[in-house]
Formats: sequence, C-alpha cells, structure tokens
Amino acid sequence: MTVGVALNWCRGRGEEHGWKLEGDTESVRMAHKTLFRPTLILSLRLNNPPFSLSHNPFLHSQPPFPFLLNTHPISLPSTSTCTTTIHLWCSNYTTTTTTTTTTTTTTVEGSEKCYLDLTDEELMRQCEMDTFKTSGPGGQHRNKRESAVRLKHLPTGIISQASEDRSQHKNRASALNRLRSLIALKVRKTVDLDAYSPPRELLQILPPKSSIRGSDCGPQIGPNNQKFASGMQALLDLIFAVEGSVSEAAKYLGLSTGALSRLILSDDSLRKEVNDLRASKGMKPLK
Amino acid sequence: MKVTLTSVYSPYCFPTLLKSSSLSTLCRPFCSSALPSPPTCVKPQVPIFLRPPIYSNKLCDLNKWHDWAKGVAFSIGSTFVHSDNGPDSSILCRELKWLMEDAVEVPSLDDERVRMRIDIEELYCLWKQRVHERRPFQYVVGCEHWRDLVLSVQEGVLIPRPETELVVDFVSDVVSENEELKRGVWADLGTGSGALAISIGGVLGSGGGRVIATDLSPVAVAVAAYNVHRYCLQDKIELREGSWFEPLKDMEGKLAGLVSNPPYIPSKDISGLQAEVGRHEPRLALDGGIDGLHALLHLCDGAALLLKPGGFFAFETNGEQQCKALIDYMENNRRGSFCNLEIRADFARIQRFVIGFRQ
Repeated sequence: MTVGVALNWCRGRGEEHGWKLEGDTESVRMAHKTLFRPTLILSLRLNNPPFSLSHNPFLHSQPPFPFLLNTHPISLPSTSTCTTTIHLWCSNYTTTTTTTTTTTTTTVEGSEKCYLDLTDEELMRQCEMDTFKTSGPGGQHRNKRESAVRLKHLPTGIISQASEDRSQHKNRASALNRLRSLIALKVRKTVDLDAYSPPRELLQILPPKSSIRGSDCGPQIGPNNQKFASGMQALLDLIFAVEGSVSEAAKYLGLSTGALSRLILSDDSLRKEVNDLRASKGMKPLK
Repeated sequence: MKVTLTSVYSPYCFPTLLKSSSLSTLCRPFCSSALPSPPTCVKPQVPIFLRPPIYSNKLCDLNKWHDWAKGVAFSIGSTFVHSDNGPDSSILCRELKWLMEDAVEVPSLDDERVRMRIDIEELYCLWKQRVHERRPFQYVVGCEHWRDLVLSVQEGVLIPRPETELVVDFVSDVVSENEELKRGVWADLGTGSGALAISIGGVLGSGGGRVIATDLSPVAVAVAAYNVHRYCLQDKIELREGSWFEPLKDMEGKLAGLVSNPPYIPSKDISGLQAEVGRHEPRLALDGGIDGLHALLHLCDGAALLLKPGGFFAFETNGEQQCKALIDYMENNRRGSFCNLEIRADFARIQRFVIGFRQ
C-alpha cells in the first residue's frame, strides 16, 4: 500500500462512506516524508461513522480497510456529537523483526509529537498487542498460563515483549516500559546545533557538575528511573547530530568528555547505541 | 450436605426455560433441589504464598527436592503436548520456579537453612500431583496472578484466564466516559474466584458504584469472599449465592452493568479438554450444554430485564461462532432490547467477547 493508493482510496470509496480528507495532498506527502518508513498519518473527519470505532479494528474479523492498522479516536467538544476525528496509520510493513535485531534508526522532524510524551494509554493505543498463542480455542479450554505479551508500536514498527511475570497484565506494563526505552534508543529527532539548548528532560539526567544544569532541575535522574528514557532520547539526538563525537556533545552540555562518557556508560543500552553509531563512523568504542 | 453438593456440581441440570423472558422464570434456580440455603460453611484454603514461613529446612534438602522436581519435569518432554495439548517440560520448569517463589522465604536464614511456608515433604507430594495427576499449577499453589491481582483459587473454582482480563478494560473504557454508569450497580454473574467483580470494584473507584457478584457454587462464593476481603472491598462488593439472576430479584431494570464469563464449552468437547482443565476444574463452570450457549442465552434474556436503559454488558464466549449466534439472538429474539452490539477479539485474535448496551 502506497501513500498514493491510500489517498486515492480516501477520495474514492472513502467519500462514498462519508469520509473526508482534511489537508491538501502536499501536506500529506510532507507528513509522509518525515517518517522513516512508508507510514502516513491522515487526519480524517467522519460524519455519522459507517461503523463503530474502536481502538484496534484488527480485533474484528474484517478490518474495515485493508491498509488501516490502527485508529485512534479523539474526543471532540460536545457540539460535534456526530463527528469523530480519527488518525489513520497507514503502513506497508511486511516483516516483523525483533527488537534485538532492529538496526534502523528513525528520524522524525522536530515538530513531530514525541511518543515518549504520550501517556501509557495513548502509547498503548498506537500498539498492536499479541500473546504468544499457539493454536487452539483458548479461553476456558486452556491452562497454560500464556501470560507473555508482545507489543508492536505501529508508527515505528518497534517491537517489545515481556514474559517474566505471572500475570499478563504486568507483562503488558513491563513491555510498555521496555517500549519506551526502545523508542528512546531508536527514534531520532533532528537537532539544530546552531540554536541548541538541551531540553529539560536531558538536563535532568546530567550529573550535577554540568555547568549548564540549573539547580531547578532537581536531583540527577538515573537509568532505573522511568523518566530516564526521555533524557536518553534527547542525549542520543545530540550525539547523532554531532556524529558520535562525545567531546563535541560534552561541550553542548557543559560537561567534560570524561563525565559524559561515564554517563553514557552507566546504561548498557545507551552505551551500545552510541558505540554502534561510532563504529559506523569508524570511531573507537567507548569503554 | 454431600448430596446437595453433588447435585450442585452436576452440569446436567440446565434449565429448559431459556426462551422464557419473565423474571419469575429467569429466577427459577437451575437446580431447584440443589438450593437449600443453609449458611455456607466452606472454609477457603490459604494460598501457599500467604502462609507463615514456619518451616525451617536445610538448603541442601531444598536443592535435592528441586533437582528431583526438575528431573520429573524433564522426563515429561512433550508427552502431554501430544496427548492433549498440555504443558511441556519448559512450562513445567517455569511453574517449578514459581512454586519455589511461593514456598521459600527470601532471604534465607543463613547459608545452610531456609525458611519455608510449606514442609519439604509436602512439596514432593504437590509436585507429584502437578505432574502425574495433572493437577493445575494454580490449585497446587492456591493462587493465580490475574491482572494486578493475586487471587486465591482451589478445587471447585474456575481458574481465571488471561483472556478474561480484557473484560475489565471494556468496563474501564465505558465508565471513564459515563459517570452515571460509574456510580451504578454492576453485576458479575458466575463470579468464580471473584476476579471480574474485584477488578471492576477497583475500576468503579470511590464514587458510590458497587458490584454484586453471584455464583451457584458455595465453594466459589466462599473463595470469592476471601479474595474480596483480601483486597478490602467488602463495602463495594456483595456476594450472593444462587443461580445466575436468581439472587438479583430486587435489581430488575436497575443494573448499570453486567459482566459474565459463563460456562461456554459445548458438552461434547469436555472429554477432550486438557487434563488440567477437564479432570480438575469444575464442570459447572465449563460445560455450556449441547452448543455451549445455554448459559449465554439465559444471560441475554436476563440482561434485557435487569439492565437499565443505557446499561452496559460484556460476555465472554467460546469464539466467533458463539459471538455471532449471540448477536443474532439479540437482534432477532430480543429485538429492540439492545444497541451498539459489538464483537471483540482477545489478544490471540479469537473473537471472544460480545459487548453492547441496553436500549
């Protein structure tokens, strides 16, 4: 499914169903360009929806549209009771890779909504959830404690899974936390180095000796804190912008090269990501 | 009392009055002879993980048991998988780890001794039951982890399934958008361990909404009461013993919501079930009659009578066929009673639930 086909569908059959495409073709194409895979987000407004909306139409036997992977209903003011705006995620994923082998790095324009700012619920709605189910009717028929959970984040294709807990519910929470870390590691925002000022979430993970870290940032947030992911994402954005040079990045953060190295080495996944980048640029790994 | 229990557990006394719609017939108990109402005197068992760590054992003895138990698990290979799609060695080993977690107090007393919640001799016995008799792991440890709860379960009570966790999400979505439903009275019919009732009690929060949970089995009522108590929800969740709507005579047209995971397996499929399920779990909670729809159709009829306009319901089913049959029944035999009917799938993509609203 290409963007063009999706657009034409919306113009053709979509309008028969009361769908209306908002925004011109150019802005849709721009949106398309900003995402790393042929993924497209369309905002559509529906009058008297022809079907009931749910978070994941894939859960029904017949997805209403072949290219529709996920709908995300947005509540509107009460004046427009019959109108619902939904975002369509269009995508042509054909393969599924596990997180450990994902090497693609996503680049998202600075204006894009940051996935890590979403609440758990919002993030979950962008995901498709699977249990590792084998064949069979399930439900009351089974007793296998198949509590493992796999989440696929549809906008980026990132997959995270958890199976360590005895409850599916808790595995879902673990998988979601893991997904946040993976998004931080894999989704890159472009950084304007000329006008660079580190975002607050990055300042919060810096050691107190940083010269640009104000006292209002509170105590340093470490890798075990849930908030670390956002800071890590911003740090990686910067390191990618300076093409892997730790000394260069350290200058922007008011730190010595050694202090920034220690911060990077404090988290295994962060270290691996930085070292992968450095390896691709022919630089020596941090140790 | 023994006679009473036997008839209570017989799955063959489903009513032949499913097509009827008046509350009086709905309220007629399925097994009229089985419903004297002496005070329930079933004493629920305490799950291993909640027992005091009063046993002190040598670490080497525990290791010896563990090695033995692991050997037993490995000897199974994939025998059970081939016979009835039961657990293989790797699943049994995972369960063994969980059994250790529940039985052994951490940290240990010293380098040589551990404190335990169960005697080591009993551990040998329990693991034999697990593997050789195919006793469900949840009955062995006496609990099941379900959503964010750890629920006590024992023989006579259906072990809550991961699939059913989704019903709570449906309710949570509905009440987050509707304050009136959130403050209303909800019912969980055939509550078993009380899983749905307790979770929904939590979802309703402190706004005045409450849950009535019913079950025909006195064992289930006792276990559910134990679980409700453990989560301190006695004020929010009321347990009533009886068949389906029979204990809800006072709620006609008053319920804000109704959920149930009723027996839905067609009778002919019971004999082929995985041994853990077919041999050990209560047939009362599994057997849904010839087409598996007996209880579900009865629930549709009751929902039409007991839900107030705008009230929500969610039922778990055997799969796509039953979902479609239910929708068909509601749209034709109960025309005008329900709206916004929807089929929802579980996480394995099996169409599992029917949800909707009272017109």
